[in-house]
Amino acid sequence: MRVVTGVVGNDIHVVANRLIEISLKERGFEVFNLGVNTYLEEFIDAVIETDANVLLISSLNGEAEGWSRDLLFLKSRFDLDGVLFVIGGNLSVGEAKEEEIIPKYKAYGYDLVFHQVDLNVGLDIIEDTLKGKR
Amino acid sequence: MSQNSNRLEIDIGSTYFKIGTNGKTNQYFRDFTTNIYNDVKNKCGEIISKYKKNDIFICSSANGGLSTLIIGISSLFSIKYATNIAFNSGINIIDTLLYSKIDEAIPPKEIIDVVIIAGGIERVKSKFDNRLLEYLKEVKYSNIVYVGNGTDREFLKSNIDNLVILENIIDNRLQIREDELKEYLTNLYQNDIVGKEEIKKLYSITSNQIYSTPYIVNRSLPKLRSLYDVADPFLVIDIGGATTDIHYSTDLVVNKNILTSSSYDRLVFKKLGVYKSRESLVFGAKNNEFVYELLDYLMVNENILEEDTLKATTILMQLAIFLVLYQVSKNSNDYISLKLDILNSIVVTGGVSKVLSQDDIDKIVRFFYKKILHFDTIPAIIIDREYKIWTLGMKEVHSV
Ligand code: B12
Repeated sequence: MRVVTGVVGNDIHVVANRLIEISLKERGFEVFNLGVNTYLEEFIDAVIETDANVLLISSLNGEAEGWSRDLLFLKSRFDLDGVLFVIGGNLSVGEAKEEEIIPKYKAYGYDLVFHQVDLNVGLDIIEDTLKGKR
Repeated sequence: MSQNSNRLEIDIGSTYFKIGTNGKTNQYFRDFTTNIYNDVKNKCGEIISKYKKNDIFICSSANGGLSTLIIGISSLFSIKYATNIAFNSGINIIDTLLYSKIDEAIPPKEIIDVVIIAGGIERVKSKFDNRLLEYLKEVKYSNIVYVGNGTDREFLKSNIDNLVILENIIDNRLQIREDELKEYLTNLYQNDIVGKEEIKKLYSITSNQIYSTPYIVNRSLPKLRSLYDVADPFLVIDIGGATTDIHYSTDLVVNKNILTSSSYDRLVFKKLGVYKSRESLVFGAKNNEFVYELLDYLMVNENILEEDTLKATTILMQLAIFLVLYQVSKNSNDYISLKLDILNSIVVTGGVSKVLSQDDIDKIVRFFYKKILHFDTIPAIIIDREYKIWTLGMKEVHSV
């Protein structure tokens, strides 16, 4: 299974990104890590070039919301059926309720949304989803 | 430097040519009523006759370069990587086509020198299909090369005549791999120069290989410190009659997905020349949101752009510098963004270096840094008035 990952926007928090790469590799994924400061277009283009099964976007400083508004439009330009779109980290600037955040991001076009969820919990859910368990 | 006193170096450009010897360079406007060879002979026959064929070195950018059509499956990887490699191989004219849009694409009318097809890491599901073959039927091209994924190789090879297949430009970590395509394109460019009738004639005055000018300039960059007090990262701006070339330290590239093995990359602005493409330069300037403020700052008004005076040329050259900086800044999302905030030196060469004063250039760079980047300080500016960069490159390439 292939995963494209990275931190969206002008976000330079790198620690989580490194951990995610290591954890994914340990779980047997082939990882294409675009690193910090990555724009949404780059993520989509990387999925196209690699046939990734999962796009796993992180946001730590909360910028993701602004960037994610373009997701549906970008998805519409390519055939991305079957790709699992995942986002996690700190998905808002400041305080926010999970009940509000999750539907909002799902409406943007993500399949799985993890706001301040432990990484391993999230990765378990991703794996289960890929296996069709959830 | 007695060692090079017996060398004569000639650079053929699209609007003028220059001749250098003993570290001194003279520049002549091209006479378009005659061919390059006659023009050079008429103006410099006497000096040329004093040198042996073996001691005359020529480079040229007069052929206008090769035209390329790049077909790729994404803008930021296959198309971008191929574009970067093409620029670094000396190619000036680049058109791109995103494969997902191929059904709506209108094939170019003019003959394309080389079509480049790229897309995908090595092991992916098929990315190209009959739509590509149908489209290619409508395109007139001289060469075609495939540098994409492994899956489509067989299909394309058996369906496209004379398809050259080289290693994938995208490696398995999604990084650029440039060597094979770069070598292929550089050779193509080289053969093109040699094949041009006008250039062929020049071989009657030199027994050395004629190279492309951008290649020569690029070769001098690692040694630029031996000429000038430049600090990395730096940017070389070469504004000529028809195009503007920039060469930049790759450390300046914002988007880290494009890590090339060379330390200096090249980018061409084909519509930013002060003579042959003057109209498009003026057009580009008028469409820039800062231009009126800029003209005001230079204490002129827009009418100057239509004039045919030295003052007008100076202003146009200043505008060209501004537009180049603007187009590679983060303010413009064209092909590439450079971290101009960490730039240490700007070296200005080409036709502009003969016209603009240090003050003219300082002024425009200061405006850019203040207005666009909100900086009070600017990089060190060096003007290569005697085309030493080119002389150095010639020496590097034809080292004795
Ligand atoms: C270190 C740090 C910095 C360093 C970053 C150094 C670096 N290069 O990495 C510096 C000082 C540069 C910095 C700058 C800023 N920071 Co800061 N920073 C932190 C800090 C203290 C720790 C981050 C960290 O590395 N944690 C360790 C890693 C392992 O944990 P993590 O990042 O939380 O990631 C885990 C989870 O989020 C999750 N996760 C992440 N992605 C995904 C994806 C999926 C799918 C899943 C399931 C889970 C998951 O798993 C990760 C691993 O366990 C946090 C506060 C905190 N305690 O978390 C603030 C914090 C992230 N920063 C914050 C802010 C606001 C900023 C600045 C904007 C501050 C400013 N005003 O200048 C700038 C932003 C700069 C930029 N352009 O991005 C805020 C973000 C607030 C928000 N979103 O609401 C935080 C939360 C602090 C706060 N409470 O206000 N920061």
